[in-house]
Amino acid sequence: MHAQDHRITQAPQEEPYYLPLADELTIATTAYRQELPLLLKGPTGCGKTRFMAHLAWSLGRPLVTVSCHDDLSTADLVGRFLIKGGEAVWTDGPLTMAVRAGAICYLDEIVEARKDTTVVIHPLADDRRELPVEKLGQVVVAPPEFMLAVSYNPGYQSVVKDLKPSTRQRFVALEFSYPDPAREAAIVRHETGVGEGLAAGLVQLAAMTRGLTDSGLPEGASTRLLVHAGKLIAAGIPARTACRVAVAGALSDDPELLAALEEMVSAVFP
Amino acid sequence: MERAVVRHELARRMGPQPPVSWVLDEPAGGLAALEPPELAAVLDQVPVIWPVSQGLTFAFLAEVPQALGCLTPRQLPDWVKGILDAYEGGGLAAARLFMAEVERRFLCRLRDRGGVAFPAVAGRLLPYLRSLAGRSIDLAPAPWAGTDVATIFLPAEIDLGADGAAHRLVYKLVASWQWLMLAEGSFWPALPDGSHQDLAAALASSSRPDLAAACYWLAEGRRLLARLGRRLPGLASDLAPLWPLLVTGRPAPALLAPGHGVVETLWRLGLGTAGEGPPELAARIGQAAGLLARLVKPAATSADSLAVAAGLGQLLADLPRGGLVPPPLLFLGEPDLAAVAAGRLRRRQEARQQFVEALGRLLTQELGVLPPPSPGPTVARPQGDAAVAVPAAAGGAPRDETKAREPELMIQVADREVRLSEGLRSLAREIATDLGALPAAYVQSALDMAGAGGVGREVAAPLAGEAATGPLTYDEWDYRRAGFRRNWCRLLEKELTPVQSDFVAETLTRRRGLLVHLRRQFEMLRADYRFVRRQTEGEEIDLDAVTEMLADQAAGQPPSEKLFIRQLRNERDIATCFLVDLSSSTEGWVGATIKEALVLLCEALERLGDRYAVYGYSGMRRLRSEIFHVKHLEEPYGDAVRQRIAALAPREYTRMGPPIRHATRLLAAADARVRLLIILSDGKPEDYDDYKGDYAIEDTRHALIEAKVRGIHPFGITIDRQARDYVAHLYGAVESIVLDDVAKLPARLPEIYRILTR
Repeated sequence: MHAQDHRITQAPQEEPYYLPLADELTIATTAYRQELPLLLKGPTGCGKTRFMAHLAWSLGRPLVTVSCHDDLSTADLVGRFLIKGGEAVWTDGPLTMAVRAGAICYLDEIVEARKDTTVVIHPLADDRRELPVEKLGQVVVAPPEFMLAVSYNPGYQSVVKDLKPSTRQRFVALEFSYPDPAREAAIVRHETGVGEGLAAGLVQLAAMTRGLTDSGLPEGASTRLLVHAGKLIAAGIPARTACRVAVAGALSDDPELLAALEEMVSAVFP
Repeated sequence: MERAVVRHELARRMGPQPPVSWVLDEPAGGLAALEPPELAAVLDQVPVIWPVSQGLTFAFLAEVPQALGCLTPRQLPDWVKGILDAYEGGGLAAARLFMAEVERRFLCRLRDRGGVAFPAVAGRLLPYLRSLAGRSIDLAPAPWAGTDVATIFLPAEIDLGADGAAHRLVYKLVASWQWLMLAEGSFWPALPDGSHQDLAAALASSSRPDLAAACYWLAEGRRLLARLGRRLPGLASDLAPLWPLLVTGRPAPALLAPGHGVVETLWRLGLGTAGEGPPELAARIGQAAGLLARLVKPAATSADSLAVAAGLGQLLADLPRGGLVPPPLLFLGEPDLAAVAAGRLRRRQEARQQFVEALGRLLTQELGVLPPPSPGPTVARPQGDAAVAVPAAAGGAPRDETKAREPELMIQVADREVRLSEGLRSLAREIATDLGALPAAYVQSALDMAGAGGVGREVAAPLAGEAATGPLTYDEWDYRRAGFRRNWCRLLEKELTPVQSDFVAETLTRRRGLLVHLRRQFEMLRADYRFVRRQTEGEEIDLDAVTEMLADQAAGQPPSEKLFIRQLRNERDIATCFLVDLSSSTEGWVGATIKEALVLLCEALERLGDRYAVYGYSGMRRLRSEIFHVKHLEEPYGDAVRQRIAALAPREYTRMGPPIRHATRLLAAADARVRLLIILSDGKPEDYDDYKGDYAIEDTRHALIEAKVRGIHPFGITIDRQARDYVAHLYGAVESIVLDDVAKLPARLPEIYRILTR
C-alpha cells in the first residue's frame, strides 16, 4: 500500500470550518454515542470529507482516512508482516490502527474498492464491532470510541460499481447535497477570502451549471470547484480565467458544452 | 484531363447506379479544364454530396469551377459542409445561394468576418439559456427576435458588418434579453397586491397605441438594462463597446415621426450611444429622461415602467402624428403579447399539473396513504393565502437579493414536515413568480391525490374480463389494491419482415466520423487488462507476496505459494437487452433517428463483444401486447439484424409492463455477471384501454422493481421535454436520463451504454 493511500490526523486543535446544512452533526454525534457506523452519500465536492474532519474534531478523536481504489486489498486495510532488520514485524493497516486507537476510520469512495475487500468491514459495522486479523490469529474488539464511516457518490455511475445490500444495510445513512445559495456563498467567502459579490457570482454560476443534465452535464459545479476558483481569484487571477480553468475545464471536455460554460462565465463575471 | 476520363471518374463516384453517361457530359466538360489537384479535390466531394441529393451534386459540379477561383482545394471540404448545411436548412435554393456567394457566405466566415447564422450559435446558446432560465426552454430561428414563453426566437442571421465574435455576442444579448423580459415580468406588470395588469389592454387603451407601446418598451428597456447590469454583470460589461453597433444603420431620430424620434433618442441615450436628438424637442427629451431615471433603481418593477410610459405618453401626446416609424431594435424584436399570453397559460397549466402530480407522489411516499380529506390534514399557511412559504418575487433570485436567505420550502401535513425536492422547489418558485404566490389549491389537489392513493380516482378501473391465456402471459400490478392481476396480459412475440434498404449503409457513410470515434472508445473498454496479484503462476513475481511469504515464514506462519502476478483481461460478461418503444407517438423519430442510433450502437458493440438483444414493443389492449424481435441475445449481428432494424416502424400503444417483464424473464435466464435492461421510450406508458395515468406508471414502476429484484439493472432513456418528474419516479433518478432532443440519441445511446458498463 502506498503512503498516500491513507492519512492519519490527530484530532485538530483548531475547529475545521464546517457550516451545517441541517441536523447532520447531531445525527452523526448520536450515531457515534450509539456505536453505529455512518454512510455518507452525496455528489462530489459537497463537503463530505470536511464534515468528517469536523466530526473528528468535535468528538476529539483522531481521523484515519483511506481513499479506496480497485487495487486496495484486505491486507492493505488490516495489515501485514514486513521484514525489518531480518525479522518479520507485523504492521497494522490503517483500519486495524484505527480500531486499536479508538479513532474514526473514514473509507472514502467505498464503491471503488473491490467487493471482497469491503467484506472485511462487515463484522466491524454490526453489533459485533470486531476486526478479525487472520495472520495474527487475533480478533481486535473495537473500543466505544471507534467509529467507522464510509462515503460514496450515488450519481450517474457504472452499474458494475454499486454497494452491495449486505454492506449498505449496516449503516446510518446521511444524505449530503449542495448547500443553498446563501450558505454556499458563506462557505466560499470563508474558504477563499473573496468578497461578497464575487462569492455570490460563483454561487450563481454553480447554480446555472447544475440543471444541465439534459444537455450532457451529469453533475454541475461542486462547492469544491467554487472554492478552487475563489482561491485563484483571491490570489489575483482574473475571475473569468479562474472560472474557465477551475470550473468550466473541470466539468467537461465537450467543445460545445465548454463553449456554453464559457458563455455562462462571461455572463456572470465582468 | 480528357472529358471522357472525367466522365468515367464522376460515374465511378456516384454509387452502384450512376446516371447515364450523356447526363455527365456537361459537368465533365466544366471540370476537364481544372488542374489535377483541384480536380481530385472536387471528385473527392462527389460521394459526399451524391447520397444527399443528386440535383445538388449537379448544381455543385456546375458551380465548383468558378468557386475554385477563390477557394483552395483544401478549403473545398469545408465549403461542401456549408453547402450541405444550407441544403438541409433551406433546400436547393438555399444551397445555390450559398454556392453563388462564396465570398460573403463562406470566405468571410472563414476569416471570422461577416455575419453569423443561427445554427452556428445554437449549440452553445441553448445550454446557456437553460442555465439562465433554470427550466427547459427552446431556441428557434425566426425573422426577428421574440418569445412565446416556451421558446425564444432569435434572428436567423445577424450581420451588422462587424466580426464574427461581435455577432456571436449580439446573439447572446438577444437570447439573454428575451429571457430577462420573461424573468422580470415585462409582459405582466405586477400590481402591489400581487395581481397582474393586462399589458395588451393597457397599451391598446391609449389614444396612440403604437407610441404607447414604444414608450413602454423604452421604459422597460431602461429598467432591464439596469437589471442586466446587476444579474449578469459580465455580459453587461462585454456589451458596452457593442451598443453603438446596434444603432448604426437605424434612421436618425430627426428623420422619424416626432414622437418616435424622441423615443429613439432616449434609447440611444440609455445605451450610451448619445448623439443629439432633434433640437426643437430637446426640452421634452430632458423631461422624459428625468422620468426614466427612476427605473434604474433596484426596486423598480415593470408596473413602474408602465406608469412611466403613461407619463411619457402624455409628454409626447401633442406632437404631430405621421412620419417614419423606426424598425424594432434587434435584441427587443417585436414583442408578441398574444403569443406570450397563450404560452404563459400553457406553461401555467403544465406547471400546475407537474407540481400537483409530483407533490402528490412525494406526499404518498413520505406519509403513506393519508386518511380521506375530511377532517383531513391541515396545510400550514405561513404567508396569507399561500400554502407553502415562497417569497412573492423569488424567481431566480438576483444577485443583490441572494443575501436574504430564501425561506425553506416546507409543507406541513398532519404535524409532519415534508421537504420538497429541488425540482419541486424550482417549480414552486416558478409558479409563485407567475401567480404572486403558490395557490393553496395546488397543494390541496396534491393532498387529495395522495389521500386517495393517487390520481387514479379519475381513471376507471380496467374492464373486468376473461383472464388472458396463451404461452406468454404476464401479471399486471394494480397499485390501488397493492396486488397483481394474475395472467392479465398476453404478450405475442412477433417477427418483423426484413426490409431491403440501403438505410444501414447510408447511416454508416453519413455517420462515419462518429462511428470511428465510437469504435475506438469501445475498443478501449475491451482492452481493459488488469494485473491479478497473488496467483500460483504468472508472468512476474509478486514482490509484495514474496516479502510477505518471507515475513510469514520468519514469523513461523505457513508460507503462501501464491507469489505471482498474472495479466488478465477483464471479463466483461455483460448481457444487455434494449427495448425500443414503437408506439404511434414515436412517429417521426423511430423513422430515422432511433434506427440510426441502433445501427451505431450495434456496430460499436460488435467491437466490444458484449452480448445484447434488441426488441421493439407496442400493442393494443391487455390481450395484445406485442414484442418485435430484432436481435436475440446470442444471435450474431448480420444482414438479417440490419434489415430488421430498417424495418422498425411506429405501431400502436405503449403498455410497458408486459415487455419489461418479458425482457426480465429473458435476461434472468442469461448467464452473465451484469445484466442490463435499457428502455428507450418517448413518454409515459399508455394503452388504448384504461392503462394510463398513475395506473400505467405504477405498473411499469413495479415491473422495473421486479427486474431489480432479479438482479437486473434497468435504465430508462426518455425523449420527452416534460418528462422530468415521472421519469425519476419510474426508474429512479440515477437510473434514467431524459433527452430533450432526439437528434442527440445516436451519439448519446452508445455513450450511455459505455458509461453504464465501464
